[in-house]
Amino acid sequence: MPADVSVIDLAKHYRVHEKDAGLKGSLRAFFARRYRTVKAVDGVSFSLAPGERVGFLGPNGAGKTTTLKVLSGLLHPTSGEIQVLGHTPHRRESAFLRRFTLVMGQKQQLLWDLPAVETFLINKAVYEIPAEAYAQTLKELDDLLELGPLLRKQVRKLSLGERMKCELAAALLHRPQVLLLDEPTIGLDVTMQVRIRDFIAEYNARHGATVILTSHYMADVTALCERVIVIDKGHLLYDGDFRSLAERLAPYKVVKLRLPHPALGERLADFGELVSNDGLNAVLRVPRARAGETAARLLGQIEVDDVTFEDPPVEDVIRDVFAGGLEARA
Amino acid sequence: MLKYLRLFALFVKSSILMELEYRANFIAQGTLGTLYAGISVVTVLLVFSQTDRLGGWSLDQGLVVVGIFIAFDGLTESFIQPNIRKLIDGIRTGTFDFTLLKPVDSQFMTMFRYMRLNGLMDFAAGVVVIVIALSRLGLPVSALQVLTFLVTLVMAALIIYALQLMLATSAFWFVKVDNFTEAFRALYDTARYPVSAFRGLTRLTLTVIVPIAFMTTVPAQALLGMLDGALLAGSLAFGLGLTALSVALWRRALRSYSSASS
Repeated sequence: MPADVSVIDLAKHYRVHEKDAGLKGSLRAFFARRYRTVKAVDGVSFSLAPGERVGFLGPNGAGKTTTLKVLSGLLHPTSGEIQVLGHTPHRRESAFLRRFTLVMGQKQQLLWDLPAVETFLINKAVYEIPAEAYAQTLKELDDLLELGPLLRKQVRKLSLGERMKCELAAALLHRPQVLLLDEPTIGLDVTMQVRIRDFIAEYNARHGATVILTSHYMADVTALCERVIVIDKGHLLYDGDFRSLAERLAPYKVVKLRLPHPALGERLADFGELVSNDGLNAVLRVPRARAGETAARLLGQIEVDDVTFEDPPVEDVIRDVFAGGLEARA
Repeated sequence: MLKYLRLFALFVKSSILMELEYRANFIAQGTLGTLYAGISVVTVLLVFSQTDRLGGWSLDQGLVVVGIFIAFDGLTESFIQPNIRKLIDGIRTGTFDFTLLKPVDSQFMTMFRYMRLNGLMDFAAGVVVIVIALSRLGLPVSALQVLTFLVTLVMAALIIYALQLMLATSAFWFVKVDNFTEAFRALYDTARYPVSAFRGLTRLTLTVIVPIAFMTTVPAQALLGMLDGALLAGSLAFGLGLTALSVALWRRALRSYSSASS
């Protein structure tokens, strides 16, 4: 099967001006600009088969969003061969634009002052969606996302999570085959994150759409993606199965404890690496493989008010591992 | 073509819905617009209270220029300014992304996506001023005059549109360009008077370099039967030339779009 997305040796360089802090720095930058080339993406290659769900990981500024923007034709690549659905994205051919979507958790297309359905109607006309297909898609999205009454409320009166559901619906009305999702769950509470995640999985299963997802939440990637691509400083560091990456990158779990009195904190170091402890709140790192056993031992020996076991944030893990010089190669 | 007409109608409808969301604002804007139109007429009346002729134009002839000035001012306020503001804002914050993602000509989507009703008051006021001036002049208006008037009027609209779009397009490189559009406003203010009211170098500048003359004076001349072939040619050249230039600049600018933030 031919690839839906194929990227060969993509590079995107920006020229940015630098300025030192303070008024003096600003004045100097105003009169004599110093420019520097930033290599946001530098020699990245990968390809996706139709229907694949891939997680894009990397610290802030790694080049994830830049790559997605090149794939959606917003940015012209500095060099490289990029094909999405057989098109060169930055030519922005209508046939291409009709077949993919880009959802950005940080930016919204919904009209702020009007109910979401007004934006939907504009997208219906923009994408020339026939009335029948529109009604059918809207019904399906309504079922999956439980939009119901949200569609008739002014967007400015919706909660962040409600708005994200409507954003997703607006972005999917034209039944795109390729979904580029940049932080679609950012700022949402856990329940809503799960809803959005389930929806993406269901949409992918029903329509066989290809999905690329970036997220700060490891759980998003865990739940949705078998394959991950890790980039850092514009370079590709890992492309492969998620499970081996998670073990490689996050060999520990984070335990957060609330204690009834400070004295107990002293003994915590026996259970794992003590990250922080202010007396009543403590954070521990315990090896992933022994998490269950450690939990049992901990609860048996120490009186706690509350305890949670979490995966560390993706960005932390990636930073830790990369800083530790661990070899992570496909 | 049909698709674009349908889209335009839909854009207008959605803009009207947005205006109606804020009633008080809507009423205040309409009132301000009418006041502003009134001020334009009064300024010209004041000038003519001191003199019978301005650059060879009588009061009633001058009022035709004012009428066109007010009408275009209204159309700019309604159809061009809201889009320019959204464009500059969208480039700064990165929401312009959504315009580029749509399978619709991006220049069309940028320039016609929003409209505001406030300028329509000025537009109506401008038309009323033109009609009053014409009836006071009592001249017969020939079919040729009407035809050349319409042609030069369309060219004037294209010039106004293209100049503002080009100024706004510079935001792709300079990001914050609100003052550029203010500069257009200041220049356009001179279009309130027949260009012959200005002398020497200023008049030449307003005709050849910044084609202010072709925005109001030339259409007025056409309507009043005072147009010559050279001006008509100039009007066509500026109208079509600047439009082509704005399209070329737009295409070039999209390559420079850096899509702010994630």
